[in-house]
Amino acid sequence: MYGRFGLVLLALVAVLVWFLPSYYTGLLTQIGLYALVTIGLNMFMGYAGQVSLGQAAFVGIGAYTSAALAVKGHVTPWLGLIAGALVAALVAYVLSFIALRLRENLLALATLALGIVINVVFNEWEFIGGSSGFKDIPGFALGAFTFDQRAYAILAWALVALGIWFAGNVVRSSFGRALIAISAGELGAQTLGVESERLKRQTFVLSAVYAGVAGAVYASSFSYIDPSSFSFLLSVNFVLMSVIGGIRSLWGAVIGAAVVVALGQVLQNVVPLVLPSARGDFQQFFLGVILIAMLILLPRGITSRLREARA
Amino acid sequence: MIAQLWQYVLAGVVVGAIYALIAAGFVLIYQVTGLINFAQGEFAMIGAMTSSALATGGMPVLEAAAIAVLVASVTGGLCYLLAIRPARAATGVTLIFITLGLDVALRGLGLFVWGTNPLSLPAFSGGAAITVLGGALPPQAMWVLLTDLLVFAALYLFFRHTYAGTAVRAAVANPPIASTFGIPLRTFAFWSFVAAAAIGGLGGVVVAPITSATYDMGLTLGLAGFVAAVLGGLDSLPGALVGGFVLGIVEKLAGGVLSTGWEQGVGFLILVLVLVLRPQGLLGRAARRA
Repeated sequence: MYGRFGLVLLALVAVLVWFLPSYYTGLLTQIGLYALVTIGLNMFMGYAGQVSLGQAAFVGIGAYTSAALAVKGHVTPWLGLIAGALVAALVAYVLSFIALRLRENLLALATLALGIVINVVFNEWEFIGGSSGFKDIPGFALGAFTFDQRAYAILAWALVALGIWFAGNVVRSSFGRALIAISAGELGAQTLGVESERLKRQTFVLSAVYAGVAGAVYASSFSYIDPSSFSFLLSVNFVLMSVIGGIRSLWGAVIGAAVVVALGQVLQNVVPLVLPSARGDFQQFFLGVILIAMLILLPRGITSRLREARA
Repeated sequence: MIAQLWQYVLAGVVVGAIYALIAAGFVLIYQVTGLINFAQGEFAMIGAMTSSALATGGMPVLEAAAIAVLVASVTGGLCYLLAIRPARAATGVTLIFITLGLDVALRGLGLFVWGTNPLSLPAFSGGAAITVLGGALPPQAMWVLLTDLLVFAALYLFFRHTYAGTAVRAAVANPPIASTFGIPLRTFAFWSFVAAAAIGGLGGVVVAPITSATYDMGLTLGLAGFVAAVLGGLDSLPGALVGGFVLGIVEKLAGGVLSTGWEQGVGFLILVLVLVLRPQGLLGRAARRA
């Protein structure tokens, strides 16, 4: 079911890009990439019941790996994408030994801290551009065709389709049921023979792969990255997407990404009309308020309401 | 070389004193509610921005400082009433996300009200720099240290020598039993937010003359406050004090020796080490709720 709906969405995007102005095509790409990250995050947070406040760092690792390979080594972004996913996975694997020993409050703190440490590394490591990052990152190409906005939107949503199909299979397998068991009670799951340590680690690594892939595509499609692109605020945004859509829902990830991006656009256009003096990242205020309101009023996200309506 | 390092240590003591104040707020809220309040740093931002804005408008510094602490406390109380209390049935992760939302919302609010330009607050008293064993401290540093002394002394007296403080300690030790003895847990939760916000706001007010105030200062201060609190053990006020100073000194040494960009990174590396090697912190007891 996930696979088929993913293909329907992909087909929809592939048609839409021929009619939308390029600005909106860019937004579609953004939604697709955010959705990809959030799908991975939902497996880790929603299904396995863990928490990560540092997901932006894995997006950054994917982006920086691919950009560094392309700019310094003239490696094609296609390989850069795979390398980005692998490096993100490797970092997640190593960090999991530190972070996944912790629960709830302290896990949140540790992932937040690790995310910021990784951002400091981006800032301080001159080899990868330091605070100015990379510019003129080569784009994807197929033969003689260099990707344009439309192609990136299609690529992003092809990855979403693939990602949601794979994640759908994961969460409906015995692996996914074991994850749900962990989130319901880790000790109980262990007594039933669930190897919670290994499963949590694998899910964390998988979520980093999703983030790394999205980062690699982001780097090439924007052709510019710097450390501030992968800040703590981006991690908060992923949490917001996850919560809005429904933390234990794969479609929720797509819906959450779309809602947050659309909301950002609306706020950017509406708020200056109401409050002409507002400037800068003023949307933050609303994002925070919406996050709180969602958690109080609809803690299982928009998709939970849809599911109830259907039942 | 030694003189240079000593100067870093002194600078570390000053920022460490601020971290200790913010960490104290974390510890208060964590002890009473079992909640890590990710918005803690924003109370410091509100204190710093309110006092700086009022002082820039011509108000005497101490008056502006008092109003700023009041504004921060009211904000803290409102945060509890509007965001935490309605969701009190929620589980741990949901509450973490709610305080995360508060953090983002308050920072956005600061941006609305005060814009992106840094504001400055005059030092509380003039005079020349103070020399300590050859290192120099700005006069404001004395105010910072004095604030720490007063706040921690007041907390100590409250918890050890007042009836209400004893009741809070009972509530922390065993919430259900304290509740059967008529101790109002929810009221305490409310006041822990107010007190934490007041202390955080005070920290922001005293640091504003040193660092100047910006709408986004809360995140950095809040994160440093966390590290200090975890370093000290999350459930220990003396731990918060020690953790604040240790973190401040290590950060400034790392910043001086490596580069200033590493200040925060080193703080978090310490956090990670502590979480792995000694999750109960330097002075804390074995973790209860975490």
